[in-house]
Amino acid sequence: MSRRGVGLGAFANRTQATQSFASHGANLRSTHLASLQTQLSVFQSLLHTFALEHSSTIKSNPTFRAEFARMCNTIGVDPLAASNVKGKNGRRGLGEGGSFWTQIMGGDMNDFYFEVAVRVVELCRDTRDENGGLIGVEECRKRVRKGKAIGSGLEVSEDDILRAVRSLEPLGSGFSIVHVGSKQYIRSIPKELNTDQATVLEVIQMLGFVSVSMLQLNLNWEKARAQTVIDDLLADGLVWLDAQGPEKEYWSPQNLLDDSG
Amino acid sequence: MATTAATAGTAATPFAFPSTYNFPPFFTPQPNSTTRHSQLQKWSSLIQSWCRHHRTYRLSLVDAVDSPLFHNAALRKRLNLAEARAVVDWMTKKEEEGGGGQRAEWIEGAAAGGNTAPKSVAWIWWRRPEEWADVLVDWIDVTGQRGVVLTVFELVQGEATVSQGRSLITQTGSTENGRADHLAEFHGMDNDAMMKALNVLVKRGKASVFGNEGEEGVKFF
Repeated sequence: MSRRGVGLGAFANRTQATQSFASHGANLRSTHLASLQTQLSVFQSLLHTFALEHSSTIKSNPTFRAEFARMCNTIGVDPLAASNVKGKNGRRGLGEGGSFWTQIMGGDMNDFYFEVAVRVVELCRDTRDENGGLIGVEECRKRVRKGKAIGSGLEVSEDDILRAVRSLEPLGSGFSIVHVGSKQYIRSIPKELNTDQATVLEVIQMLGFVSVSMLQLNLNWEKARAQTVIDDLLADGLVWLDAQGPEKEYWSPQNLLDDSG
Repeated sequence: MATTAATAGTAATPFAFPSTYNFPPFFTPQPNSTTRHSQLQKWSSLIQSWCRHHRTYRLSLVDAVDSPLFHNAALRKRLNLAEARAVVDWMTKKEEEGGGGQRAEWIEGAAAGGNTAPKSVAWIWWRRPEEWADVLVDWIDVTGQRGVVLTVFELVQGEATVSQGRSLITQTGSTENGRADHLAEFHGMDNDAMMKALNVLVKRGKASVFGNEGEEGVKFF
């Protein structure tokens, strides 16, 4: 049986062997596929159960939500990206309708971020006169948390704010996240900060205010350069002028936000 | 944060200044027009809540520039007379004209400390006369005094509004009843301001005022 085939019969033998290998391979592949599919569906249903079970926590607890979103990111599921194809998916069938995420969270997850986004947009618009369209993510979070009317506060983390701002990007709204020093800001007026301006804002962040001579001393800038940068910032409404000291001082309006405005 | 200096201290609790008050540039007119607009709004709301807190109806700028309202002693910043005047001037303008929605009104020919210059004393309308009129109508309704003849003196100084005024203090403390909150807010109101409110009601046909000046009576319909 096991002896090496010789002669013409061997050809037939070999074809047979190849065929059986092929069929065996196909068998293996399909079992693999089946088991993978089972795994995936188990995983999906687990995620589903998890999300359902904890949906109230996801909605109410910012830290938990951030972790959940991070987990989804790691496994390549973006709750917000899913929301963008909501309509298409619904029509495509699968007999289910709506995206995976809208099914799981009943649309709440998306609605949550949209609501945050709306608050952020409102806040940016309300304070644009005061801060020239630049608002710290942290300040923004505090304000959204407080809410305008009693009971309208939203418990949000910075991660939620950032996510909400990013969800606005497809709208071409001009809202973007800017890094200045160690802080993150939401820029609601589409205008670039140049390096010098960013540097000055960073200094203000640390010291509370700046003056031309402070910039000259600390950054070794020419007077004209310091003055130009400050004048630009002033023209954009990003700093406020205090002319009652011995030298003109320029302050950032970021900490003004606690008021009703 | 709240500066409790000697002011016309009718109020029991010290005035709580907003955080803007401790922002040094707040006291310098901003060169950027957008920022300036935002600054004027903040000043307007500060002046209104200050006057409301102290039950001030006419604000004399000459006196006020040295009060904590315009002078932040801790920061050593102040709004000088000309700038305070500019703020109030902005408040007198309508919103459509880019002003502060007529939250102030200059009192012509008013003398303040021998100073008869124009634009030195202004009504600060933390409630506009029309809004005061609504407050009056509410109060008349709640106390069931439609058709009753009252003197203006009674309205402003009368016992009925005194008790309302007292309960106001306890009620704002507990914020029990938002409605009763402003019911007798007009107790101790400036007589002329009251007349302005009543005149609004007269124009609306909701009240009639009669009698000599200083002894006016009023009947609400």
